[in-house]
Amino acid sequence: MSNQPGAGAGTTTVRNAVVIGGNRIPFARSGGAYAQSSNKDMLIAALDGLVARFGLQGERVGQVAAGAVLKHSRDFNLTREAVLGSALSASTPAYDLQQACATGLETVVGLANKIKLGQIDSGIAGGVDSASDAPIVVSEGLRRVLLDLSRARTPKQKLAAVSRLRPRDLAPNAPTTGEPRTGLSMGEHQALTTAAWGITREAQDELAFSSHANLAAAYERGFFEDLMTPYRGLTRDANLRADTSLEKLAKLKPVFGAGLDTAATMTAGNSTPLTDGAAVVLLGSEDYARANNLPMLANVVDAEAAAVDFVNGQEGLLMAPVYAMPRLLQRNGLHFDDFDFFEIHEAFASTVLSSIAAWESEKFCRTRLGLDGALGKIDRSKLNVNGSSLAAGHPFAATGGRIVASLAKALAEKGSGRGLISVCAAGGQGVVAILEAR
Amino acid sequence: MNDVVLPAMPELAGLYRQAVVGAVLRRAGRRSPASALPEVRHHASGGPVDRERLTAFQHLVGQAARDAVPSAHVHTLAFPVAMSVMARPDFPLPLLGMVHLSNTVVQARALRVGEKFESVAYAENLSPHRSGTSVDLVTKVSVDGEPIWTGRSVYLARGVRTAGGRKEHPEPSPDGSPGTSPAAGGDKSDDALPGSADAFTPPVPTAQWHLASDTGRAYAAVSGDWNPIHLSAPSARLLGMKRAIAHGVYLAARMVELAEPASPDAVSWGVDFLSPALLPGTLAVAVRPGEAPGGSVRRTEVTGWAPGAKRPSFTGWVTGQAVDPASP
Repeated sequence: MSNQPGAGAGTTTVRNAVVIGGNRIPFARSGGAYAQSSNKDMLIAALDGLVARFGLQGERVGQVAAGAVLKHSRDFNLTREAVLGSALSASTPAYDLQQACATGLETVVGLANKIKLGQIDSGIAGGVDSASDAPIVVSEGLRRVLLDLSRARTPKQKLAAVSRLRPRDLAPNAPTTGEPRTGLSMGEHQALTTAAWGITREAQDELAFSSHANLAAAYERGFFEDLMTPYRGLTRDANLRADTSLEKLAKLKPVFGAGLDTAATMTAGNSTPLTDGAAVVLLGSEDYARANNLPMLANVVDAEAAAVDFVNGQEGLLMAPVYAMPRLLQRNGLHFDDFDFFEIHEAFASTVLSSIAAWESEKFCRTRLGLDGALGKIDRSKLNVNGSSLAAGHPFAATGGRIVASLAKALAEKGSGRGLISVCAAGGQGVVAILEAR
Repeated sequence: MNDVVLPAMPELAGLYRQAVVGAVLRRAGRRSPASALPEVRHHASGGPVDRERLTAFQHLVGQAARDAVPSAHVHTLAFPVAMSVMARPDFPLPLLGMVHLSNTVVQARALRVGEKFESVAYAENLSPHRSGTSVDLVTKVSVDGEPIWTGRSVYLARGVRTAGGRKEHPEPSPDGSPGTSPAAGGDKSDDALPGSADAFTPPVPTAQWHLASDTGRAYAAVSGDWNPIHLSAPSARLLGMKRAIAHGVYLAARMVELAEPASPDAVSWGVDFLSPALLPGTLAVAVRPGEAPGGSVRRTEVTGWAPGAKRPSFTGWVTGQAVDPASP
């Protein structure tokens, strides 16, 4: 398929990077089954299952790339430490990556590119996040005092350092979902976008309902049996509500956008909860897969990142994938109609719906994206067919690995076609990517 | 052999109380020490493991919180059964103040989160030792009748001479490490052991363990073993130690994690405790590839010592296979 028009167009002759398989632990709600587990614990648990599934015990993998969004400073080498604690050969190199919620997808892109260029033959990409075991930081005042104290030589200097301590300095700082530049939480940012696009409560609840129904159906047909390893008593995503209904979702109170002129529509049901979990993906060249008798689920075709200026209110915080999409499609000579699966990360139901609305808007596509007309419509029956983050949960850096593994398997099951991934991220960023069946 | 089935996994605290009573009665001359081991096996069921305590154990010994229970944690889970044998009124040695000489563990597969297990423990090899009398406590753990784990712990009762002891206990001889005299871990003075000094040439250290003063208390919290010799200097002095000492299984668990971090189902390890690791303190640690006597099994050799010490704190080995060193 490497000669197919469009596949990898923009680059010189490269070989294919294939998704061999994936593994994740069920996602737990924050403070739930994984409350005592660290990021390293969960990443190792996900790696353990992948190693067992593909017989990688004692093997040197070309490189492992992963990351976490909420990361303790002691985990500066999180991925390498996880490799050292895993059954992989200790001679497997690893690096950490951090791109907010796009971390997991970006690790797939980075390692796939190395495989395409022949720099490595195999790689494991992924991510992990714990909202339960989040690092807590001492206040800036206490931090300054402690640093000065460590440099103080004389008792007088030490006393001077300590005397600057104030009671308020003793309050710790827990991480928030607030944007550093604006101070608004991600939900409040999305509420602005939701209002701007007039996304209704009903449409958001319908999308949330579909996410739960699709994920429950995927579990029922055993879709995740070779994509998941139970951990700490969980065998399914703890957030999944297989018995939810539009009526139940309609009863939930809005939690974001209460201060806006328009009615608040975003609830705990149509927004992702804080979640703990980890996901990894095994990538390789075709030669590597054949030599080790491993499956080849899909090719990693291409990817594109984008960023928007949300600070000046020019664009919504989570709308960057909307800008990345036409660039990716044009480079590959493809249109929405050329895809059989769409995996649009459900940070919030309204994020997905705002993106779809933007791509369907002729005015927006002309003025903002510089296109001749609307980018196109997405067939909703092809959207998040095995559930997405609203149902599964969203341990920030783990979401990319979850999506890539699930989409690659869906493509392999179908035996043909293409899948499109769209992931938004904090800081006004986003990454989109194309997978292709083999 | 008589089989005694305990109604539940015994509580260590109760066993320690029983041991204190036994010690008082012994001292008062109300109970004369037995001269032979009781011909009895104690059985108890346990599990599933407490996930929170398992995670705390794993984190304390530097292991990732996996669903496979570390082989050293299995020891702590089944230890109360072995302890109940030692706390029996007809057990010939005083439980309190006994010193841990060595451990070997052979694990065919890991105990998993959520699994119940059966355990059986008995004592054998009551033997004269140059510093007292030693005894082996053998514990076996199975799941649904499938044997998965066997542990042998050798303890020393210092200064105790029993008439019924059989042959001298074989001296621990960790392969490849000099200075393998059977040391009494809790002796107040290094001179108590003739022939051990000057024999130890420290290997090149590859790691360093900082043992904080609360190491013993932290391990007690995750293992349930509140033996006073590990908790604090005053409580350790009551039992004849200079200071609190690190728990042997804590050191063993860290050794296993360092050598076989991926925690394979099959794992075997052995450790000889040659001098106490005082708390707080620092141990230099050397991890080296080696092989079992006979050369058939590759294994990792680990030695830990306090810098400047005349003999190692411990020497041990770990291999990712289920091999019984006693039957090569």
